[in-house]
Amino acid sequence: MRDESPIPLIFKAISVITLAMLAIPVVIVVLAGLNAGDYLTFPPQGLSLRWVISFLTSPTFLSAYGISFLVAAISTVISTVIGAMAALFLTRAGGRVVAVLRAFFMMPIVLPGVVLGLALYVFYVSSGIGLARSLAGLVIGHVIVTCPFVIATVTAALVGFDRSLEEAARSLGASPFAAFRLVTLKIISPAISAGTIFAFIISFGQFEVTLFLSTPNLQTLPMAMYVALRYSFEPTAAAAGIFAIVLVVISMVATSRLVNLKRIFGG
Amino acid sequence: MAATTTTGTADEGTGMRRIGLFRTVSAGPAFWWLVLPAFLFFLVFFVVPTVSLFALAFNKSAAGVISLSSAVTFDNFLRIFTRSIYYESILRSIGIAGAVSFICLVFGYPLAYVIAKTTNPGRNTLLMILVLSSMQLDMVIRLYGLMVLLGDNGLINAMLLRFGIISAALPLMYNVFGVIVGLVQITLPFMILSLIGVIKSIHPSLEEAARSLGASRAKAFFSVVLPLSMPGVLAGTLLVFALAISSYVVPALMGGWKVMVMPIHIYQQVAETGRWQFGAAIAVVLFLTSLMAIAVYHRAAMRTTGGRS
Repeated sequence: MRDESPIPLIFKAISVITLAMLAIPVVIVVLAGLNAGDYLTFPPQGLSLRWVISFLTSPTFLSAYGISFLVAAISTVISTVIGAMAALFLTRAGGRVVAVLRAFFMMPIVLPGVVLGLALYVFYVSSGIGLARSLAGLVIGHVIVTCPFVIATVTAALVGFDRSLEEAARSLGASPFAAFRLVTLKIISPAISAGTIFAFIISFGQFEVTLFLSTPNLQTLPMAMYVALRYSFEPTAAAAGIFAIVLVVISMVATSRLVNLKRIFGG
Repeated sequence: MAATTTTGTADEGTGMRRIGLFRTVSAGPAFWWLVLPAFLFFLVFFVVPTVSLFALAFNKSAAGVISLSSAVTFDNFLRIFTRSIYYESILRSIGIAGAVSFICLVFGYPLAYVIAKTTNPGRNTLLMILVLSSMQLDMVIRLYGLMVLLGDNGLINAMLLRFGIISAALPLMYNVFGVIVGLVQITLPFMILSLIGVIKSIHPSLEEAARSLGASRAKAFFSVVLPLSMPGVLAGTLLVFALAISSYVVPALMGGWKVMVMPIHIYQQVAETGRWQFGAAIAVVLFLTSLMAIAVYHRAAMRTTGGRS
């Protein structure tokens, strides 16, 4: 009786339910995308690749996947560059201004996505700068949403960075820029990569901000799936989902190798 | 204006502190330019649009008119708080978000506890990846899975009907129940991640001490572990609340436009009736409601980090 497990049985039982709640919808999407019938039934009608092929030849979903990928790639590059720079400043300067700025950069997380999307749309239309219903306008919205995550990830890595390493490089004759590039950047580059991956995934799956900014010919994958789901449960959408799931799992495994996940997510 | 103030102060800070290392960052004494691109980007594409949207809420509602005028009116807000369809949606939003927070806590805490206490590094990473992947995965994809499961002809109903447990399909979706299930699925990872750190920081010897003094396992948990994890509980609950109250896609799909919450009203006012000003006013109310939750969240989070260091 003394050697009891550190985890109570009831906790283990509920954990299994919780894990099931997290995993089952994803498993169903995979099954729906690989099933042979016209829709996923119980019991399933067997496996086939017909919906995967249908996705790969579908003009709607394939182009939506492409647009999502493009928007995510462009907005990730922008938010990684400006976010990592801002994080460098935020960790090296001190004082009240920095504390305020830090909170300022986290604000897009607080603002509901629908509100941000609407605000940007109103801004684009009323300012008449040609961003309404454009790819650039959509990318801008995604940069605002993803940048806080880059800043948070890179800041977390920089807080633990030992600055005397850079000092050592300087005292050995390295120029300030060389010391930064050869020492600091090298050490924090895994965190920057992790921030990049997070930004990409968040942008790729972004729905709420996109709602007001996308148009029928500028439809991202979540939007295309949303439209499909409002009318039918098309398995082609599920097949598209499989490709998105694979993308997310690969990137999470990659991130876990790059940085200590617990450090970023408060573990 | 704001930009000059910020940069000016930051610059003075460097000057005063005279820390040589600062120069290494930017190869020059003026390292504040590092923050400038992000700051300007946020100023132009975040602050200006949000502030002007909120200003629009104080304009007279007119269909199809989007430009800002200087005539200030509170009509939109009066309308929200006097028409039952709107103020009931505020209460509904709050009620659903509250229920979701509570359910997430009940289901999230045990898993967070298990992850915090799992010492095997491989297993720990696996669990973390599972939670993080489900957080990162596109919401609409996860909702697709839930809808196939919960629909009238969905897997659960089909299974129950086939085994003769029920005679007619259970209404599991296109109602408040479906919305709550959807929101719980979406927000659970955030709850779990808020809790892991706090539970981990509680020294196991505290629980052991309570046990050795004769407390039952349940008693030790409820009088030692749970109170000590309150900062995380508070943080997670309010984060989930803020996420749940502002979600559009979950009530739209899982509620089938029958569960009218604030984000749905915003979309309808803007996209269907073209009353931007009124939509903006609902957005202001939504933002303030979730901001109140976040304000408390922030204080709880500050306490958590304060306690850890």
